[in-house]
Amino acid sequence: MSAGRTVPPVGLDEARRRLRELGYLDGGVERWVFARAFEGRGGLLVPAAVLGAFAAALAAVCAAAAAEPEFVARPLSPVVLLMHLSFAFLVPAALLAAALGQAADRARSPGAGAAVFAAASAAGIFFLWIAGAYRLTRDLPAASLLWGFPVALAALLAARSVRTGYLARAYARSHALPASRGRGLLFGIAVAGLLVAAAVFASRPAAPLPAPLHVSPRRESIVVVAIDGLPADGGGAEARALRALLAGGATGWWAQEKGSPPELWTTIATGVPAARHGVRALERVRPLGSPSALRAPLGTAWYLRGIGPAVGLVASAPVSAADRRALAFWEVAASAGVPSVSVGWWASGPWPGAAVIDNREVLSRAAGGEDGDRIAIEELARNPGRALASVYLPGPDILRREPKRRDREIGRIREFLAREVARARSGETVLLVLTADSHAPPGAHAGAAAFDGSDGRPPATAHIRAVDVAPSILARAGIPVASDLPGRPAAFLFREGSLESLSVPTYGVRAEPPPARSPTSDREYLKKLKSLGYLN
Amino acid sequence: MRPAFEEALARSLPPDASGAPALARAISDAALSPGKRLRPLVALAAANLVRAPEPAAMAVAVSIELVHAASLVLDDLPSMDDALRRRGRPAVHVTHGVAISELAAVALLCRAFEVAANAPELAPAGRARVVAELARAAGAEGCCAGQAADLGADPSSLALEDLESIHARKTGALFVAAVKGGAIAGGAREPSIEALTRFARNLGLAFQITDDLLDLEGDPKEMGKDTLRDGHRANFATLFGAPSSRRLVDELLETSVSALGRFGAKGATLADLARVVRDRRS
Repeated sequence: MSAGRTVPPVGLDEARRRLRELGYLDGGVERWVFARAFEGRGGLLVPAAVLGAFAAALAAVCAAAAAEPEFVARPLSPVVLLMHLSFAFLVPAALLAAALGQAADRARSPGAGAAVFAAASAAGIFFLWIAGAYRLTRDLPAASLLWGFPVALAALLAARSVRTGYLARAYARSHALPASRGRGLLFGIAVAGLLVAAAVFASRPAAPLPAPLHVSPRRESIVVVAIDGLPADGGGAEARALRALLAGGATGWWAQEKGSPPELWTTIATGVPAARHGVRALERVRPLGSPSALRAPLGTAWYLRGIGPAVGLVASAPVSAADRRALAFWEVAASAGVPSVSVGWWASGPWPGAAVIDNREVLSRAAGGEDGDRIAIEELARNPGRALASVYLPGPDILRREPKRRDREIGRIREFLAREVARARSGETVLLVLTADSHAPPGAHAGAAAFDGSDGRPPATAHIRAVDVAPSILARAGIPVASDLPGRPAAFLFREGSLESLSVPTYGVRAEPPPARSPTSDREYLKKLKSLGYLN
Repeated sequence: MRPAFEEALARSLPPDASGAPALARAISDAALSPGKRLRPLVALAAANLVRAPEPAAMAVAVSIELVHAASLVLDDLPSMDDALRRRGRPAVHVTHGVAISELAAVALLCRAFEVAANAPELAPAGRARVVAELARAAGAEGCCAGQAADLGADPSSLALEDLESIHARKTGALFVAAVKGGAIAGGAREPSIEALTRFARNLGLAFQITDDLLDLEGDPKEMGKDTLRDGHRANFATLFGAPSSRRLVDELLETSVSALGRFGAKGATLADLARVVRDRRS
């Protein structure tokens, strides 16, 4: 700098401003494009790939956060998931960037091409978020929309990077000069994405607040026995005998849908489909370093269920009650002040007013299918005097590949049920036996056989739905049925006039923080499930 | 493009047999010494962009280079910058004396107008416009005015606007004339000429700031002329500082290239020349 200057040095911003006033720097320049092209880096689409991967990962994490608020209850969980997915998405992002480069090399109208690709990338990121959240749950709280802002920001960054990368490549390789228009389009897409999200999320029915449940007391206690793996027809002599025993009661039947054991039985227990109760698979995924597990959001299964577990970066976690967003019938009953016990059900867990021995506790002590049933029945017996008692018997399902053993086990169940039927016929209890085979092909018959005293009527048989079971049990227990349940009580199953006729708008949703279980115990439990024939 | 231009430039010079061999040698040294030929190449690229006939384009490019050569001779005189070296060689006044140098500069200017006025495959109106552009760039509104302002300026009190005013005339004007001349040779319409003018103005200023940076930091051997000669003067590099100057060079070049957007891929050659300005070392 010259000594003795009376004019102070001019800063960069000031220089720009004054040069603009003099008619320079007036080009609406795509600075990132030219800078990269001038540096000879126009051919590289690394920023687009990296930012694209990050934005897609963020969209997936925000989808999980919107749909499973409990997942973000521990902040480390989303951070770890974001890191995992950012790295994982680098691979597809790099492939897409390579394709983008090829397209840029052949671009005849770089400005239009860049706008299209940028818009597509932003739209894709919004899709990952909106569809991802909606697929995980339809019951999205309004606050979920807040996740749209980081998603919008990431989508803008990624779209901008795609656009400039495309333009720089087009310039550097094909000598086609980029136009300087189209930047406003990206903001338009971000706003449109947020509006779409708002519309999608707002389209969900407003959930009314749960009202207090006024119970009409019933003299009889209700016993619900769920048998998994009883074939609808065929099987051995014991199976036929059991079906004959059950035929003595009023029977409702339905065609099973495709689903995992936890999904099918949770639908029965809650009276809502999987889209509402949220339990779908036996396992959830737990990225290495994450304290919480989650269901794989849309577009991430290839890593979280495929490559990640294969290379040891993602572990599995068994499904638990924390995954369930709808109340099971024993939980509704307990909340209404009806003492209840639940033994062995999938995705069950502690609930105030209910004695709950969950599936994990039963199966982890069982050496085989017979053990599982025995332990479940013993646990049921340890909790006598409950107005609503339910037990899930997994034995026949676990033994499904060993027909003779299964038939013998069905025989033992039949003996247990014969006693329960006798109690029910005497009017001491109301017995409802649920039979389904969660490994049967879709369309196989499942059923509910009810024994409600002995009024001399011939047993009725009718078609019902799986979602009718829970409201039927609750109505028979004298508990008002929630109007927002898709199912309705099946009156023909029970004594005439025994069902509660009042209703309430809703039971509300089930919200529970995930249980603090160690990955080691999760692994042991999953190992146990595998040894019992699940997860194969 | 460049070999054809060098050949045309050599052909355009007056023959040795003009009766003034010392003048002819000075003219030849001034015009044919190895330079970057950036201005004539810009003129040729602009002409090519608007599909000008090649002979007309070449005539415009030659006339631009002749004006530029004349301006360098005058610029180096002891009464001006008193530079001893130019394009890796002794300055013309060092080899041929001040008087012959002054005459050579005048002769080069005259030759430039002559070449433009006789440009083949260019309509008379086009020739006249090219000559007018050359005159404006070289004369009292252009290089001469810029040089006069530079000589009379107080370096310690020059503001950005003063510097821009000097260099827009000393340097920028000839870049503008180059693109305009090329465009006129191709019969370009006004919007195209305007776009090319925007290109040339930004390019010219970027070129000047680069020049100032090289004067401050460049290698005299690579540059082929004395450096640190402008240390006593205010220039863009001292006004902005080197990092900001480099940034502004980039932005000016980016702006100049963006002005070519309307021409699509056809503007690639001019854009490449902008990159040459950015990367130049001499």
